[in-house]
Amino acid sequence: MAQLQIQNLHVEFGGLRAVDNLDLTVEEGEILCLLGPNGAGKSTTLDLICGKTQPTGGSIRFQGTELSGLLEYERARCGIGRKFQVPSVYKELTVAENLSVAQSRHPGMWRALFTFGRGDTATQRRVLERVGLAEKAGVKAGNLSHGETQWLEIAMLLTQDSQLILMDEPTAGMTIQETEKTADLFRQLRGSHTLIIVEHDMSFVRRVADRIVVMNRGAKLAEGSVEEIENNAAVKTAYLGH
Amino acid sequence: MTRKLSYDLLAYAAFAAVIFWLVPTLYAYDGFELNTFARYLSLAIVAMALALSWGTAGLLNLGQAATFGIGSYAMAMHLKLRASDGLPDFMGWNNVDTLPWLWVPFESLTFTLLAGLLLPAAVGGIIAIFMFRARIAGVFVAVITLAFLVAFQLLVIEQQGLTGGQNGLTGLAPLNLFGWSVDTYSVGFYYLVAACLMAALTIGIYVSHSKFGLILRAIREDAERTRFFGYNVSSFETMVFCISAALAGWAGMLYTLVLEFASPTYMSVSFSLAIVIWVAVGGRESVIAAAIGAIIVNALEGRLSDVFVEGWNLMLGVTFVLVVIFMPRGLFGLVTYLAGAGSRLRQSRQDSPKTSAPIGSAPHAQGGR
Ligand SMILES: Nc1ncnc2c1ncn2[C@@H]1O[C@H](COP(=O)(O)OP(=O)(O)OP(=O)(O)O)[C@@H](O)[C@H]1O
Ligand SMILES: [Mg+2]
Repeated sequence: MAQLQIQNLHVEFGGLRAVDNLDLTVEEGEILCLLGPNGAGKSTTLDLICGKTQPTGGSIRFQGTELSGLLEYERARCGIGRKFQVPSVYKELTVAENLSVAQSRHPGMWRALFTFGRGDTATQRRVLERVGLAEKAGVKAGNLSHGETQWLEIAMLLTQDSQLILMDEPTAGMTIQETEKTADLFRQLRGSHTLIIVEHDMSFVRRVADRIVVMNRGAKLAEGSVEEIENNAAVKTAYLGH
Repeated sequence: MTRKLSYDLLAYAAFAAVIFWLVPTLYAYDGFELNTFARYLSLAIVAMALALSWGTAGLLNLGQAATFGIGSYAMAMHLKLRASDGLPDFMGWNNVDTLPWLWVPFESLTFTLLAGLLLPAAVGGIIAIFMFRARIAGVFVAVITLAFLVAFQLLVIEQQGLTGGQNGLTGLAPLNLFGWSVDTYSVGFYYLVAACLMAALTIGIYVSHSKFGLILRAIREDAERTRFFGYNVSSFETMVFCISAALAGWAGMLYTLVLEFASPTYMSVSFSLAIVIWVAVGGRESVIAAAIGAIIVNALEGRLSDVFVEGWNLMLGVTFVLVVIFMPRGLFGLVTYLAGAGSRLRQSRQDSPKTSAPIGSAPHAQGGR
């Protein structure tokens, strides 16, 4: 059985069908890239999976559990992590503290009350070295550059270590080298984690995607391997706007 | 150990030295003078309690005076029973002829001490559950807690036969603390209050440096984001409200001991707002700073309100506005800013020879900021 099964999902915002009868399955350990023109409903789809938005209909099953009706924190505890399109880190906290927050294998309140200090700093340091922020552990996240902020949020998701990671435009604002590094990092996660990545950069998508789903106006337009999508006539029209 | 924790411990030790040694020495171990200072110290506890919820989690509780009042009435009820032969006098005046069931358990000191902590915590917790389950945040927390305070004070004043109404509870017996008859005007009593404050600060520092405190700071900045890491935000918010309310109740108990009566004015809006001002002056990010803020403002009030009887409240209000505009992080912010500027200056002095830049060029300009 697929790890994530979405059936008949739809959501309306005041008459606008942002997601319209979407069906989607994602297998454990694969990297799925979600493409589509602006306003296609990609971010909204991720919002529906992680609980930020409530659907008007349809079902989302993750590892056999029906997610609708679960609150955001309950879905996170099921093993779903989310990186937002607008990098969202805690600007008032240091880089290291951001990772401590993200380290949430035991997110209970009582447990937190009886835990003194930063938690597992060895893991945190390893993750920071991996994304190249080891030098900045003590810096306030608000003082990082845009690219570094993206890295920090990615580092937070690595620390959170969810089975299913939802990445919304992780390479936006990165240099070509940084984008390549991100691609390498994500490929290392393949197999142990499932990733759904929303991305516009096709060279990045070619490097990481196992499979691509293209959305347009809230619905699924096409699905397939990288070559299949690149040669799909309907996709070309949607992007060129005919 | 993190740098911030070591700074906090340093401040804690210095503060302990001041209230345990310097203050009694300055007042020449005079019990009467120290009684006044003990009053400031008990108010410092309610201030640091507010700093926990407001400073750490960003939840401005304007009902802090209600939980403070519950603690102070709990203690007063016990002492009133000790002072009365049978029924407390005011009950007779209000045609109450048997001791109300609510009063009965306050015969016991152990019950009273527990109730003074747990009743405020329960009241704070119940309000918190309703608010935070509904994801109420920001200014609405202030509005709801303020509305609760107003209703609660009215209730206390209305229930004359139970609470002594407008007069409060007066004519209290001295506390007999497990064999020690506490003289409020003794040096020993001052040390008791000082020790209570240090214990409360220990709890405050522990909480702010625990993972719990870190998550509260994360919630203050972005509650929504924190949920996506699996934290049940409302349970964290509820817990910090309970802890803060219990500490406020504790402060209230001590306050009754210091003043030897309990009054519904302890639950007034103006008192609750005064607590906010003390915390803002000291700095809401640090429990120690909030305690210092309470002591400074109250000591000033003690000196100045005799001189400017009518003007004091106005001065307090103006001070608050000035602090919010020019010193939004309070004295604490000022001190950390100056310390930061100092270390930046030192840094630039050390750096400049290495970069071997001509005197007066970039590194200096940068470091001097
Ligand atoms: N909370 C909301 N309220 C109203 N409309 C919304 C809301 N969220 C999204 N929309 C609308 O739904 C549509 C889909 O938006 P969505 O953000 O999912 O697009 P997207 O595919 O992520 O686009 P982009 O590539 O620009 O990020 C858009 O028309 C958007 O304006
Ligand atoms: Mg989007």
